[in-house]
Amino acid sequence: MERKYTILAILLIVLALGLVGLPKKKDLKETDPKALLSAITEKSRYLSVDLVTHRIIENDPTLLLIDLRPANEFKAFALPGAINIQPDSLLSATTLELLKQPGKDKILYSNSDLMAEKAWLLGTRYSITRLYILKGGLNEWYNTIIKSGEVSSTASSADLDLINFRNAARQYFTGAGQTSETQVEAKTPVKVKVIRKAPEAKSGGGC
Amino acid sequence: MSFKKNVTHNPKLATVNKNDKITNMKKSKYDGSTYLNPYLGGVILGTVLLLSFYISGRGVGASGAVKNTVAATVNAIAPQHVEKSAYYSQFAGGDNRPMNNWLIYEVLGVLAGAFISGIVFNRLKLKVEHSPKITSRRRLWFALGGGLVFGFGAQLARGCTSGAALSGMAVLSFGGYITMVAIFGTAFVVAWILRKNWI
Amino acid sequence: MIGPIISSGIVSQAWDNIFAVLIGMGFGFALESSGFSSSRKIIGTFFGYDFVVVKVFFTAAIVASMGLLYLSYFGLVDYSLLYIQPTFLTSAIVGGIIMGIGFSMGGFCPGTSLAAFAVGRSDGMVFSGGMFLGVFLFSESFPLWENMYYSGSQGAKMINSVFGISPELFTFFLVLVAVGMFFGAAWVQKKVKKVEY
Repeated sequence: MERKYTILAILLIVLALGLVGLPKKKDLKETDPKALLSAITEKSRYLSVDLVTHRIIENDPTLLLIDLRPANEFKAFALPGAINIQPDSLLSATTLELLKQPGKDKILYSNSDLMAEKAWLLGTRYSITRLYILKGGLNEWYNTIIKSGEVSSTASSADLDLINFRNAARQYFTGAGQTSETQVEAKTPVKVKVIRKAPEAKSGGGC
Repeated sequence: MSFKKNVTHNPKLATVNKNDKITNMKKSKYDGSTYLNPYLGGVILGTVLLLSFYISGRGVGASGAVKNTVAATVNAIAPQHVEKSAYYSQFAGGDNRPMNNWLIYEVLGVLAGAFISGIVFNRLKLKVEHSPKITSRRRLWFALGGGLVFGFGAQLARGCTSGAALSGMAVLSFGGYITMVAIFGTAFVVAWILRKNWI
Repeated sequence: MIGPIISSGIVSQAWDNIFAVLIGMGFGFALESSGFSSSRKIIGTFFGYDFVVVKVFFTAAIVASMGLLYLSYFGLVDYSLLYIQPTFLTSAIVGGIIMGIGFSMGGFCPGTSLAAFAVGRSDGMVFSGGMFLGVFLFSESFPLWENMYYSGSQGAKMINSVFGISPELFTFFLVLVAVGMFFGAAWVQKKVKKVEY
């Protein structure tokens, strides 16, 4: 009898070892090319500078800004709360897990929107959802928000609202004696907690 | 692994076979019935758990069914109370149908399954199991008290040994492990405090 | 067929409750046939004369957790759709302690008391009845415990992340621990004074 149990115990341990030793399967599913094409032509992936600024100021918790520029540029200046991801590490396991976490809108930006486009394409191919591009990138953001535009006398009330908003945003980012740079310094490194998806079981779970 | 049939002609004598090793089912004083080898039972239980997750995406449970029954009963008697209560209103009252719940059906199955096992292994018997050193009455009072305390705790911890601990361990839930450790650790200490009831 | 079957819609939702009964039957059968309808066998773990609880519980836990991880690896189960109960640290600990007290007072837990009920053990029936009272008591006095009930929320945390290792590695260590306990239980059982039960 003793012998039987030792054999069973060894079998169990071997099974458990097998679990650990199995090669990690890449569980990346690729999107169907047709679906990808429709997503590209749809253009709903662009978010305007104003919209994103609004959400930054509102401290929208579902916002996740991803800066694709080189590290030294990121350090010099970045949008508040942004995290820096190098384009060549976009497909690493940690980045993918970050991008796949639920409950967040991921907004890619670079100086123009070229790199962001490429990153978006890659991410969408790997079935990452809620991925967006800041239209015009940082250049557009800077031109719109930071640099003041001239108020034309023929501006409509909607335009005036927009200009007021942008003025307020400028205050937010550059005013109060604090430059955006220091604001960003204090925020990096931003530890983004990856939340494991807590699924809602149909039966409601419970004991 | 064969089922060892315990044959005791004299119920007062507890005989222990010298050749029995680890899995020997000790012949009990008044219960000469057969029990499955516990490891086999564990494998069966584990497989049932596995099936439960594979089919319904969740593990088994027991105290949740009690909770729903209580809520449904209170709702039948005093619906306004249920609506006002911060606890009951989560799953009873209004549109909720607490009795039409996966756990309720599962618990019915538990009763049926245990009953069948009782028939198969010839264990159907109306009796109070207690240590020979205490009375039936004392045992029943402690059972009542224990059930009360346990029911209370199960609500607080959102589960019991089957739901939180066992099913939780199957999916490596942190909360499940914590609850399991808390239950068994405390039970160990309290068992010794109350050892007069047991040995 | 990728599990969970109900969630992926291969089998309609209406079958869920039918499966619940079947799963429950398997559960009840496994419990009763292993001896969990007897409170004296259950309590035996704490006094060293019958370790059935340890053996069954941990065997089931490692079979189920290894099984799920293997099924997930082979793509037969979508692990992210499985219900992992959320961790509420304070209430999990306090509730667990209270349950431990109830456990050693009554010698049962809800599942096993139902098994005992089904085979005619009056102590199991009384325990089950007591549970209803306990639940009722908690629900009525809920405002007193409300804060504790909701505190310490950590979401559906998995234990391997606490140690920073993969689920597979954790399960491996669990298996080692369990096997160690099984041999330890056998050793203790031999040394302990024979108890008639």
